[in-house]
Amino acid sequence: MRDRGATYLLLAPAGVIFGTLFVLPLTYFLVISFWRVVLFRLKPDFTFANYLQVFDLHLSTLVFTLGLASLVAVLTTVLGFIYAYLIRFKAGLWGPTLLFVALITLFGGYLMKIYSWMTILGITGVLNTALRALGIIDEPLPWLFYNVGAVVVTLVNFLLPLAILPIYASMRGITDIELEAARDLGAGGWRRFSDIVVPRSQTGIIGGFALCFLLAAGDYLTPQLVGGKVNMIGVQIAPQFGGLGNWPMGAAMSFVTLGSSLGVILLSIFLLAQWRPR
Amino acid sequence: MTGASDVVWRGIGTLFVVFLLSPLALVVLFAFTSRPQSAFPIEALSLRWWDAMLANPNFAPAFWNSLIISGTVGIVSAIVGTMAALGLARLDPRRARLAAALLCLPLMLPPLVLGVALLSFYSRARVPMGPQTVIMSHLLFALPFVVLVVYARLRNFDFRVVESARDLGASPLRAFFTVTLPIIRPTVVGAALIAMALSLDDFVITFFTIGKGMTLPTFVFSMIRTALTPAANAVGTLILVMTIGTTLVALWLTRYRG
Repeated sequence: MRDRGATYLLLAPAGVIFGTLFVLPLTYFLVISFWRVVLFRLKPDFTFANYLQVFDLHLSTLVFTLGLASLVAVLTTVLGFIYAYLIRFKAGLWGPTLLFVALITLFGGYLMKIYSWMTILGITGVLNTALRALGIIDEPLPWLFYNVGAVVVTLVNFLLPLAILPIYASMRGITDIELEAARDLGAGGWRRFSDIVVPRSQTGIIGGFALCFLLAAGDYLTPQLVGGKVNMIGVQIAPQFGGLGNWPMGAAMSFVTLGSSLGVILLSIFLLAQWRPR
Repeated sequence: MTGASDVVWRGIGTLFVVFLLSPLALVVLFAFTSRPQSAFPIEALSLRWWDAMLANPNFAPAFWNSLIISGTVGIVSAIVGTMAALGLARLDPRRARLAAALLCLPLMLPPLVLGVALLSFYSRARVPMGPQTVIMSHLLFALPFVVLVVYARLRNFDFRVVESARDLGASPLRAFFTVTLPIIRPTVVGAALIAMALSLDDFVITFFTIGKGMTLPTFVFSMIRTALTPAANAVGTLILVMTIGTTLVALWLTRYRG
């Protein structure tokens, strides 16, 4: 009695939205990355000039961005793993509260968190004024703000829930029974951790890492607002669609960023797959 | 577990919670203090930044835009997403998982790339930019959440009750509105609220696709780009209350536990 027509009819509106607002725009975006701009107008073409220029002009920015995104993704994944481990195995009755904190911070404002870190780390900001009021320092610490460290702290702060939740979701599948069975068979604490907990959390670890990496690599506001002169590829992409008006260039930069990010993610999945139970 | 490691874990947990919550807590705190900077020591509590927010001529339009956009995104994604989830529930689980994964692809793209790709597409297709283009763009990342949440609910739904209704002569539509929908309604409403919270919170995609108008997040951006005024804390607190409020109701309705 399940007729196919009805199934496709139910899926159709979502399919239309996905097709016209995702597949079509991204295809067009890929196409214009091979076009040129002549006298401020898009001109259809088939040239690799934009891609060559990305490597000419922005290679060091790209490499720096991938490095920074790797650092941020590794930090968020490790911290997210610890937090998920805490919820699942150590927190007991506090587990739901900790999970709840991760959930509300997930929805609690990307821009507001960046803004808050501006007010925390700035020269006349919360941290400096608090430390002065407590008499710990006499002069404000200038090195808190407008540098790579501030960018890393801010990115880790708002990406952390995105690592916690998938890792926790896969850790929830680990039952106490299998851990107790392993212990009864003589596996020590580390053995149980490395042979059961880590491999069983792999899906979540990979998902969280990939998501955090992509979002960090594509961010453009954090380096601008808390990084000062910190230059990431997103900071170079955004103006191509504003004042500079070179869409083909911006499109090529976007695809180079996505492609190289995908490369880093696949490499890290390969590295993680080396962690197998003995 | 030994007492010492218990204390260590408790300490780690506390540090995490402070790290996650303090940026948001400070925004709220400094929305109610009197000094013209967000800084210590706090001299007095005051509502002056709320007055400043209300007095700003850009506030009211941004507020209404945010309400209209997130409301529409919530309703449309609830309807389209529930339909899609019902469709997925009729497919075999392997194909359904594949289709759901496909639908989640927009969530993996950095919002900047999605925003500029949509901007160039709208301008090429000559779609006038405004709240309507923002609504369309937000559907792209709100829809997968609704589909996933409602589909998860349907996975442990007893379809025999629907079949009974059909056997007793109800049309498919009538069976849906009198049997299926009343049972899954809390989940659908919860999913719609999550979609609204995501829409309300979005800055990057809104910024690129709204044309000339403003929403609350782009209003905050216009305030913090020029000078750090604590009035931005008031707007931020308003956004937080709205997003976290809808999220809390949504979590309660969908009984999401991680």
